[in-house]
Amino acid sequence: MNKILEHIQFTQNAAGSQCKQCNHFENDPDIIEKTFKGLTTLSSGYASVRAGDGLCNLLNRYLSSKDSCANFSPLNLNSQIKSR
Amino acid sequence: MESKITQEALSPKPSIWKEFLSKEDWWAVWLGLGIVFVAYVFYLAGSSISWIAVAPAKWSTFSDLAEQLSKNGIKYLALLVAFLGLFTLVISYIGQKKKDFIKSFVFIFILSAIIYIIGSWDQANKYNLEPPLLALALGLFISNVIGLPKWLDAGFRVEFYIKLGIVLLGATLPFTLIIWGGPIAILQASIVSIVTFLTIFFTARKLGLDKRLAAVLGTGGAVCGVSASIAVAGAVRAKKEDPPIAISLVVFWAIIIIFALPFVARLLNLPTGIAGAWIGTSEFADAAGLAAAQSYGGLAGGHLGISGTADQALASYTLIKVIGRDIWIGIWSFVLALISVTIWERTETNSKVQLGQIWWRFPKFVIGFLVASILTTLIVHGNSLQDYNTIVKPALITPITSLRTWAFTFSFLSIGLTTRFKELAGAGLKPFIAFTVGVIVNLILGYFLSVTVFGDYWSNIITN
Repeated sequence: MNKILEHIQFTQNAAGSQCKQCNHFENDPDIIEKTFKGLTTLSSGYASVRAGDGLCNLLNRYLSSKDSCANFSPLNLNSQIKSR
Repeated sequence: MESKITQEALSPKPSIWKEFLSKEDWWAVWLGLGIVFVAYVFYLAGSSISWIAVAPAKWSTFSDLAEQLSKNGIKYLALLVAFLGLFTLVISYIGQKKKDFIKSFVFIFILSAIIYIIGSWDQANKYNLEPPLLALALGLFISNVIGLPKWLDAGFRVEFYIKLGIVLLGATLPFTLIIWGGPIAILQASIVSIVTFLTIFFTARKLGLDKRLAAVLGTGGAVCGVSASIAVAGAVRAKKEDPPIAISLVVFWAIIIIFALPFVARLLNLPTGIAGAWIGTSEFADAAGLAAAQSYGGLAGGHLGISGTADQALASYTLIKVIGRDIWIGIWSFVLALISVTIWERTETNSKVQLGQIWWRFPKFVIGFLVASILTTLIVHGNSLQDYNTIVKPALITPITSLRTWAFTFSFLSIGLTTRFKELAGAGLKPFIAFTVGVIVNLILGYFLSVTVFGDYWSNIITN
């Protein structure tokens, strides 16, 4: 039981290290809907169940925006602003 | 723009208002409860919103229909403007293109009105023209045979319309029904969900598929279709290729089951309450199941001799699907994320599982469904049955039911219009086999529980 509890995190990861602040991460609902063809047929990129999940373009994974890993690369805000 | 991005990216906790204004679930709650509130205010003032909540009455000849339309044309126009105003507000807040949405929604509204009118023909049942199935078939035909420009997709918001409809459905169901029927629904749905998940998961593993893909497929078949698959994919850090496989399989089987379950239930002459429970147990997604349940409910009392009422089909379906299955998605995500950390190998990301996801992933529209039910139960409480039938129902409940039917029709039509079989990702044989085995087990077990074990309860479910 203690071993399981060790793996549960009751608070969020520290600011500045979450995937949503990482350069490799993309969770725009519109992009998710375009990437996952058919998603809008019976669900939505804007649904609560999706939370802030998104794509990690480095690991090729779909994961939580509140996740973190050793490959974290701080978001380059200037390039993000330009691209938007 | 710069400050918004900076704020969003650097803030560990996004503003609570952002959550409330950027998710379709919350917007379904605000709009649904807003409509109930406005309807109640009009009711208290001795009036009703029935003027704008227009719906075609039964008609038998074209001259009947023409007379109806000339009399109510302005009401339909007012309803279109009201829906358009409200939905455009939502679209602009969640960050989509308003211009495309407006054109697309007008298209959806006109088609929905035509479907609603066809469904009101007094011979419609005789020719199997049930509006939900008609909407779906028409949408499938347009998107797969005729084809539509991509920008029209802006208005095909299946999930938003269905969630709004479910909140409005809550306003027409007594809360006592949810209290009494909820535990049975949870028990039945839990048995089927767990068995179906384990069947798909272990079949997939036996066939050599990755654990995460097996989990994504399993929850898609067992919990709430595409929404469950996508939630669990994020929780277990699935590969980018996994969600599209699950999406393709869920959509493929969901479309088949929408047509097949009402057809089989009809052959077996099942009462509407039982058929609704079976559909709620065995169909995957909310919108798909509601199309099947509403379609079957529409056959009640007709020449086919199907017993029960249309409301019983919707009530038993909603109890099983929303209360029995949907609300547990956060728990499923959390447990599977924990298993992925403690049992499966994981090296790419950190090894902690956040407890908060039980709430993050909770389908918030369910809150609106429950609050709407509580509100109308309190409003109706204290009225005699005669007062309810002669005053409360026509002034308050019937207009809400009419708006709910519109929302559902927008959704059913949008399912068809967004289902483009050519665009769906190829699932591969092994995922197809694993998922199909789960579908078969789900259908058999769902029938057994709905008909044999809990049949008495579902066939006699009281909806008012």
